[in-house]
Amino acid sequence: MDPMDAIKQTYFQECDELLASLEEGLLSLEAGEADSDTINAVFRAVHSVKGGAGAFGFDAMVSFAHVFETTLDAMRSGKLDPDPESVKLMLRAADVLADHVAAAKGEGAVDETRAHAMADELAALVAPEGGAPRASAAVAAPVADEGGADDWGFKPLKFGDDDPPASPAGWRLIMRPTKAMYAKGHDALLFLRELSRLGPTATTLDTSWLPNLDGLDPEESYCTWTAELPAETPEIAIRDIFDFVGDDCPIELTLTAAVSEEAPAAAPAAPIDIDALLNSVRTPTAEREALEGGAEKPAAAAPAADKAANKNAPAPAGGGATIRVDLERVDRMIDLVGELVINQAMLQQRVTESGAARSSTIAMGLDELEQLTREIQDSVMAIRAQPVKSVFQRMPRLVREAASATGKQVRLVMEGEGTEVDKTVIERLSDPITHMLRNAIDHGLESTEERIASGKQEEGTVRLAALHRSGRIVIEVSDDGKGINRPKVREIAVKKGLVAVDANLSDEEIDNLIFLPGFSTATSVSNLSGRGVGMDVVKRSIQALGGRITISSIPGKGSTFTLSLPLTLAVLDGMVVSVGAQTLVAPLTTIIETLRPKPEEVRRLGPRGAVLAVRGSHVPLIDIGVALGQRAEPIDPTQGVVLLVESEVGGRAALVADEIQGQRQVVIKSLEANFQRVEGVAAATILGDGRVALILDVDAVVEKVFSDRRDAAPLAKAS
Amino acid sequence: MKLPQILDLAAATTLRTQLMERRGQKLALDGGEVERLGGLCLQVLIAARNQWRVDGVDFRIVNPSPAFADGARLMGADASLGDAP
Amino acid sequence: MSKTILTIDDSRMMREMLLMVLQGAGFNVVQAEDGVEGLEALSRSTPDVIITDINMPRMDGYGVIEGVRQDPRYRATPILVLSTESSPEKKQRARDAGATGWIVKPFQADTLLDVVRRVSA
Repeated sequence: MDPMDAIKQTYFQECDELLASLEEGLLSLEAGEADSDTINAVFRAVHSVKGGAGAFGFDAMVSFAHVFETTLDAMRSGKLDPDPESVKLMLRAADVLADHVAAAKGEGAVDETRAHAMADELAALVAPEGGAPRASAAVAAPVADEGGADDWGFKPLKFGDDDPPASPAGWRLIMRPTKAMYAKGHDALLFLRELSRLGPTATTLDTSWLPNLDGLDPEESYCTWTAELPAETPEIAIRDIFDFVGDDCPIELTLTAAVSEEAPAAAPAAPIDIDALLNSVRTPTAEREALEGGAEKPAAAAPAADKAANKNAPAPAGGGATIRVDLERVDRMIDLVGELVINQAMLQQRVTESGAARSSTIAMGLDELEQLTREIQDSVMAIRAQPVKSVFQRMPRLVREAASATGKQVRLVMEGEGTEVDKTVIERLSDPITHMLRNAIDHGLESTEERIASGKQEEGTVRLAALHRSGRIVIEVSDDGKGINRPKVREIAVKKGLVAVDANLSDEEIDNLIFLPGFSTATSVSNLSGRGVGMDVVKRSIQALGGRITISSIPGKGSTFTLSLPLTLAVLDGMVVSVGAQTLVAPLTTIIETLRPKPEEVRRLGPRGAVLAVRGSHVPLIDIGVALGQRAEPIDPTQGVVLLVESEVGGRAALVADEIQGQRQVVIKSLEANFQRVEGVAAATILGDGRVALILDVDAVVEKVFSDRRDAAPLAKAS
Repeated sequence: MKLPQILDLAAATTLRTQLMERRGQKLALDGGEVERLGGLCLQVLIAARNQWRVDGVDFRIVNPSPAFADGARLMGADASLGDAP
Repeated sequence: MSKTILTIDDSRMMREMLLMVLQGAGFNVVQAEDGVEGLEALSRSTPDVIITDINMPRMDGYGVIEGVRQDPRYRATPILVLSTESSPEKKQRARDAGATGWIVKPFQADTLLDVVRRVSA
């Protein structure tokens, strides 16, 4: 990778961290915890985002960040109170800044109108009367804006373009280093060397103030220098050299031709200035300094920024030492440990096959090896584990936006942000959580009026929590809204033909209807859920991760969606089955139960179709071998086994396999990395005996079969 | 007496002290090892030269290194420090 | 003998950028993530030039400059401020603390090297 690209990536990573701490800081300001550390951290975040943005030429981001930063600076210096209104505005500004970062990454666009409006609002915070927002800055450098004077208020001599000096002119520069100049790492030598780089320079040393050695303070500055430079030397280039040193090394810069011949011609433009300067050249030092006083030394009058607040900020508790490691290396290691686990399992199987007793030293050694291998695997997985915070921290913004889109008052409570889960899972948590939160605000919470009418707090609460439970991560999204309106859900499901009119459904079954594809409880398309996706999509993406989603609801009190996911996508609990000569693994999370069908439970439909009667409802039978194209004709279901699975596309289905080999944890190998994508197959694994087994993509299999059988309408009536 | 390699702010005080210790003696300073001559040390050297002149004792810079000569020239002095008033 | 430069910046991106530019120009680079670390680094290495950010956690750039100047070994060491800010007040404050130069972020590699060479020649 190009080094600049690599740095840009680092910058984007850093932006994510900075935006997160920006939001975190603003939220704690909002909560009334306004200490100077927090304000400083917030300021620094915006400041650093801006710094990098400039480096990569993200100009729109720079100008927005600049306005934001100016407002924060006012807050930092105590000119602006962190009152709730201001902080709320800043939270929204943080969102806009995040949009800018996303746009810079190429992941979206900035709403220009919104960004400009926001910038105006921010600027207005600092200038509530509409007056000069930065009075101090404006006063400090009054001449700076005219004619390119530098920061230090040196007023350049301007000669009109119409009447340039007629004869060859030259610059005369007088420099007077001070003791302070030398004390700050400067040296007269370095300035003179720089000047000589601009062109042929004639330098004269004035030692008239230099005492003899016995009266000399070796660190005091006594000498001054006069340097003559060609007239074509750009003035700005000369001034630039002395830009930062400022009053520590005062300079006088004049065009010598003007002194001798051209003064009268040039004089009409600014006669007094030139006279004063001419005088100053000839005036002894003391008087000259008096002349230079006042207006020429603006900087000295502005030590306003002297807020030492952040200087002595207490050091944050230093966590353990950390190192940054390329993710690829970790992935590679996880891969290798996966191989190790498989290898270890193969070894164990061979030893068992060789007839060694369980109590033999070899078998016992292998047990220890297995133990160690598992521990290594856990430790390696822990390296890639990350707190869910990175996903959670995006949610306050989402909730704010959803709240304003629906006009509801929403409070978001987050718990368990530190809960760790494998990086591969984290990346895919964001969408489901987003959907569930939107759903909770849009459908779960009542309007403010309804809440008041039912005696609830005006502000609704949505809770997002993460926790570990029996080797899985559990994410809960709950609201204190009205709960699921079961009669209405049932009515819609019937109307859409998803359940039979006379179906006998428990409360739980009714609640689960909202996960059916095509179900949407909103009678009209609202702002939030108007994208044509419903809870079925959430469920589908959760199951794709090997997860489960459940719902519990109490009318009038609210609903809780609970999703449980494996901690990693690197290993999977699977049911190993044989289909013809193949060994396949079906993810355990998709399987409701396994059964051996009796002949009277199988009912033929058409030439190839068949359904299985399971407790009163009919479930389509799907031969896995046929679905994967391994055999032309389905086997007799009563001769095989059936995996009753839950698929999103068609509800339940009965997958027919030849036989079940057992359950085990398998290490997932991406198939796409090694082979082409195979329909119906999600990935592959290597079993203990060294055979490659394909991991079944249950949804894809069911979907494929359903799309092949367009005449399967009545089958959808599974409950 | 040999002049040190670096003649900057940090060297000025020491240089003055060393020269003061030799006050009244004929002095030939060897500038052959100088890598950097800064403004403050130039002041010390010129002040010394003036002092020696007042005292009526011979004071010379010998064997100036290119860096010494270059520094002196940039600062408007001659490597022998001879052209200042 | 190549010169050593101490860079003090809390932004990883900035540190990497400085590292790339300075190392590419043949300097040794010592990095610190904030002011406190920056001052600590002075006991482990002797930089010829120090480049510091202003806005940093724990100790800001002004504190760094003052701290460096208090150390007799670094009285004459050039200290360059690298900051997105460029207000006269901030510059004055840095200068009062003892800074030698000011480079505005974002910086051009050439400008940075130019200023570094200028103060360390």
